[in-house]
Amino acid sequence: MILSRTDKSDVGRISVLVRLWRSKSTAVSMVFIVILAVVGLLAPVIAPKDPTAIEIFREVEGEMINPPFPPSAENWFGTDQLGRDIFSRVLYAIRTSLVIGLLVRGGVMIVGVGLGLMAGYLPGIVAKATMRLTDVMLAFPALIIAMAVTAILGPSLSTVIIALVLVSWPDVTRLVYGQTLGIRASDYVVAARSLGANNFRIIAKHILPNIASPIIVAFSMGIPGAIMYEAGLSFFGFGIQPPMPSLGLIISDGRGYMTVAPWYTIFPGLTLVAIVLAFNFLGEGLIDVLDPRSK
Amino acid sequence: MLKLIGSRLLVLPLLLLLLSALIFALLYLLPGDPARIMAGEYASTETVERIRVQMGFDRHPAIQYLTYVRNVIQGEWGRSYQSNRLVLEDIKQVFPKTVKVTLAAEIMSIVLGVSFGVLAAVRSNSWIDRSLMTVSVLSLSMPLFWLALLLQLLFAMRLGWLPPSGSGDLFSRYIILPALTLAIPSSGYLARITRAAMLDTQQADYVLTARSKGLREFSVITKHMLPNAWLPIISVIGVDLARLLAGVAIIEVIYAWPGLGKYAFDALAHRDFPALQASLNVLAAAVLFVNLGSDILYGLADPRVRAEENA
Repeated sequence: MILSRTDKSDVGRISVLVRLWRSKSTAVSMVFIVILAVVGLLAPVIAPKDPTAIEIFREVEGEMINPPFPPSAENWFGTDQLGRDIFSRVLYAIRTSLVIGLLVRGGVMIVGVGLGLMAGYLPGIVAKATMRLTDVMLAFPALIIAMAVTAILGPSLSTVIIALVLVSWPDVTRLVYGQTLGIRASDYVVAARSLGANNFRIIAKHILPNIASPIIVAFSMGIPGAIMYEAGLSFFGFGIQPPMPSLGLIISDGRGYMTVAPWYTIFPGLTLVAIVLAFNFLGEGLIDVLDPRSK
Repeated sequence: MLKLIGSRLLVLPLLLLLLSALIFALLYLLPGDPARIMAGEYASTETVERIRVQMGFDRHPAIQYLTYVRNVIQGEWGRSYQSNRLVLEDIKQVFPKTVKVTLAAEIMSIVLGVSFGVLAAVRSNSWIDRSLMTVSVLSLSMPLFWLALLLQLLFAMRLGWLPPSGSGDLFSRYIILPALTLAIPSSGYLARITRAAMLDTQQADYVLTARSKGLREFSVITKHMLPNAWLPIISVIGVDLARLLAGVAIIEVIYAWPGLGKYAFDALAHRDFPALQASLNVLAAAVLFVNLGSDILYGLADPRVRAEENA
């Protein structure tokens, strides 16, 4: 769906929010995402415990027991093998997930939209080469390639972002390429060109505003994937490294205690599912409002 | 139609070449000196240098790449640094395992996805529809590795119905958990597509005619709606199969299923360059072939595509 000119005004922007708000599931997911963002930002203030505080034994009904301790009023998600509070660790890890989701999609948009515009606007050999490259990139086993990239660069927050951008841009390039091709031939672009507008002006003033809706949808719909990929990379030891918190890392640590302390694996995973679900619902809501024809 | 297949087949070698070049570049950049890895940790510098010259690691990367392509075409895929076994022989052993688990997952996903999708469409806007669609969104929102751990915990460790990991003969119980894990998210996706495709046919004239003829609801669904809903479903199955191949490595590692994905993962962990190179190339090439196959299948299934190509 193409945004009409008036939609670009502030009135248009406000009405998009209002329309998003009207769908119950989207409204709930938006509130949840705001809460997640606040939790992520304020984790040090909100967390009930110090996420690194170790508790090696605890007295229960006159008996000494060792961690991992099960969920209780004191430790909502239980503790890990060192007695550290999993709920507090999860709150810190949410920040990492959100940062990854936003920065990876930001990078993907820069690379993907840039290459897509280039291929769509410069047909011939440039377009052919770019699109064949996307074909090949889409065939790669993304997770293993991302692992190899973080192995090359040394696993850390920034290299995880680079690796995930590197494996995720082709989808967006394909989308933008198709959209640009359609608009390039439209009357108003032809008219603008005949009036002497240069390529840069045409792209900035005519093409980009008209493909803004699918780009926004693609940005949002890709966030859950980026968050899950980061968790996967960290789970296998090719992502975030301790002491930086990550949901994938907590699940990886919990794997060894799955039979004696299932909460250790289950709660961080459920948190991950909740984050991903919220962004999926937001994405669907955005499609309904901005891009209903793509459904 | 023939023209379409022909042009796609012509591009394929080019894509394979591009693919292998990208993988070569990636591995060239991987840290770890192949000559040192081959010689072993305690080898003298002279031995390492001798191996470097012997294997051609001292030559220009472009020449190394071209030599690699020539060797691959001649069937010389090198030896694993780890086991010293021929990589081609290893691949011949592990690739069928991956095909097996992927196909088993695809079949499960089609059976579950299409039947849930049809059920949801037939009972659209009922509580059945709503709960099925909620489950399908949920299934798409779970990270594969976590889902694998949960199913392992439930079916292997708590209930003890299935072995937690490993592999056995064909039709053994070992394949159920890995295949089911892979199938769950894709069946959720297929269920949504099927539901939408079925609802699209609901209002079509031929369905209204069939209903007004007094046909039983069951035959309206199976004889008139499903055959017309197949087209979008078929096109999704190809995409889905490619997606399964992308996710299969995670599953194979967690369930210790000795397929190509686990082989690639182990090779990466041990910097076993020949094994990693071969497995990445085969995995990606398999996806390219699946994409090609599904495009051709789609063309055959849709008379409109055939007509377009002839026009």
